[in-house]
Amino acid sequence: MKPRRIPEGFWWVFPSIAVLLALSVYPLIYAVKLSLADRRNFTRLVSDRLFLTAGAQTIVLTLAALVLEFALGLALAVLIDSLARGRAFFRTALLIPMLLPPVVAAVAWRLIYNPQFGVLNGTLRRIGVNTAHLTWTSGEASALASVILVDVWEWTPFLFLLLSAGLQSIPPEPMEAARVDGASAWQIFRDVTIPLLMPTILLALLLRAMDLVRIFDQIFILTQGGPGTATETVSLYIYRTAFRFSNFGYAAAMSFVLLAATMLFSRGLLRVMRSR
Amino acid sequence: MNAGVEGTALKTAAKEWGAARGVRIQVVELPYANLFEKEQLDLSSRTGAYDVMMLDDPWFPRMSENGGLAALPRDPDADFIPACLDVCRKPYRTGKYFALPYVGNAQLFFYRTDLFAKYHLTPPKTWDEVLAAAKTIGQGEKMYGYVMRAAAGNAVVADFMPLLWAFGGDVLDAGGKPACDSPAAVDALRFMLELGKYSPPGYAGFNADEVSAHLLQATAAMSINWPAWIAAMDDPAKSKVVGKIGFSPMPSGREPGVGELGSWLIAVSAASRHTADAFDFLYWATDAAQMKEAALRGNPPTRRSVFQAPDLIAKFRAFPAQLASLESARPRPRTPEWNEIENSFGIYLSQANAGAMDPAAAMRAASDAISKIVEGHEAATHP
Repeated sequence: MKPRRIPEGFWWVFPSIAVLLALSVYPLIYAVKLSLADRRNFTRLVSDRLFLTAGAQTIVLTLAALVLEFALGLALAVLIDSLARGRAFFRTALLIPMLLPPVVAAVAWRLIYNPQFGVLNGTLRRIGVNTAHLTWTSGEASALASVILVDVWEWTPFLFLLLSAGLQSIPPEPMEAARVDGASAWQIFRDVTIPLLMPTILLALLLRAMDLVRIFDQIFILTQGGPGTATETVSLYIYRTAFRFSNFGYAAAMSFVLLAATMLFSRGLLRVMRSR
Repeated sequence: MNAGVEGTALKTAAKEWGAARGVRIQVVELPYANLFEKEQLDLSSRTGAYDVMMLDDPWFPRMSENGGLAALPRDPDADFIPACLDVCRKPYRTGKYFALPYVGNAQLFFYRTDLFAKYHLTPPKTWDEVLAAAKTIGQGEKMYGYVMRAAAGNAVVADFMPLLWAFGGDVLDAGGKPACDSPAAVDALRFMLELGKYSPPGYAGFNADEVSAHLLQATAAMSINWPAWIAAMDDPAKSKVVGKIGFSPMPSGREPGVGELGSWLIAVSAASRHTADAFDFLYWATDAAQMKEAALRGNPPTRRSVFQAPDLIAKFRAFPAQLASLESARPRPRTPEWNEIENSFGIYLSQANAGAMDPAAAMRAASDAISKIVEGHEAATHP
């Protein structure tokens, strides 16, 4: 009987497998163990008002930012695609916010939003607007919207980029055929462009949604989750629980709930898109 | 160590000590937001990656838990200010020493002496006088009478504690149970909201930099602040109020005024493999001569003799007020759960200041949240 030989290729991929096991699989198993070490970690989630608030706010933020970024990104992509000249210029210019590190963008926005010394209220005052109550990220009611606005500013270009590439890859023939048949511009857009663009839309929304659910850096810098809990999100709360309160088990439990929610959300999104 | 004014002096000291002793030292500087988590992870995993650590005093109860820090081989001398030494002991005030105080911070009251003179006001001794002065100056000048910070977390809690103590309240009672829904505490929060009316709109999102910006730009007349900002007030490059800011200890209320203590400590990790050298550095860096050097580099000392040195007082006009404030300063509650308690407490305080919650309801909610944290910790330590 021949001894079973390790296939030659194994040693070539062994380093990557080892790194993957050490840095990804092992911590995952450890995190599962950690979260299950105390059964109360999961029961506490249900009654933890902070977690529920953070969860609800994460959902609001994700949906609002996603819708706005998609609508704006698509509009920009269509608009710039229809330009006869200067496409390359606008495409590059629009990417600038996305190229900034999120931390830098957030610090810049924190200064812009400052109610007394920021450029935003300063400009508004110049044109005669009463800014006494425009407190942006410091206001209980306006903080979440202000955070969403920063995200829209920074990540609309991402959707624009993907959708723009998608638009360019659509062959011109179906549109020409529709035009010959007498379809209006809106009909062509709705019945030809959108269906053909659907795979790209799906991918873009999915990528952006997964990123939004775990939003951290902008909020950490802009508001630290405040005022009160107005901009607290799940990932911020997880960070605090693990690294400030040294409660790794509970943080791991929350992470798994967030992971499950992200997966459910993504699958839901995929299903909605496919059924159309 | 902390990447900031406080850390800079210690870094220079470490280099000098290394050169004198012929020991190679590696300094790791981290921003305040990440310092605690790095140090705490290293202490709990006992890697001994850091021999000497610089820590903020409220972290001490957590970090000295489970033998994380090494006990000092000999007690410090009597020149140190007692309030600074007490927080280096476990249990608080009575136990063994596990750290030495390096930077002596306690909150100070900052106010515009020129405006107080203009409106014939005496330097504020009580919180009622502060409120009256905020009213007068706010109405008379095109500026805010007062400015405070009420961003959730550390910021709002730091600005509330002196009020809470002055009204005779506290966060936890002697038995470690939440006491922040007491009538005194609710009154203190009501008073804070009253002061908030004379603060710039949006103060419920302010941190220390916004508060100081208002003072520096002469758009607010008074605030609670930390000694680290004193130098900026008299720096013509940053300040429009050079020489116009007076510094005093905290105003009083029903109880004598007490500022919050925010000392930086240095300690040796129990997992250190260079304990002897590490302790040698600890004692060396905190002796009177070295502390004077650190004071000249901008660090508030923790020794009486350094605060009282005439040449230093001539250079740092706030030193007498700083010493007085430090002598009476009170630390934040000595519990390992402080980070979590402060977070919850801060959320409700911030919501009350943002007008989203009534003071009594906010304090009740904070008390509920804190008792859950305390019970959770008890359940975890005594299952």
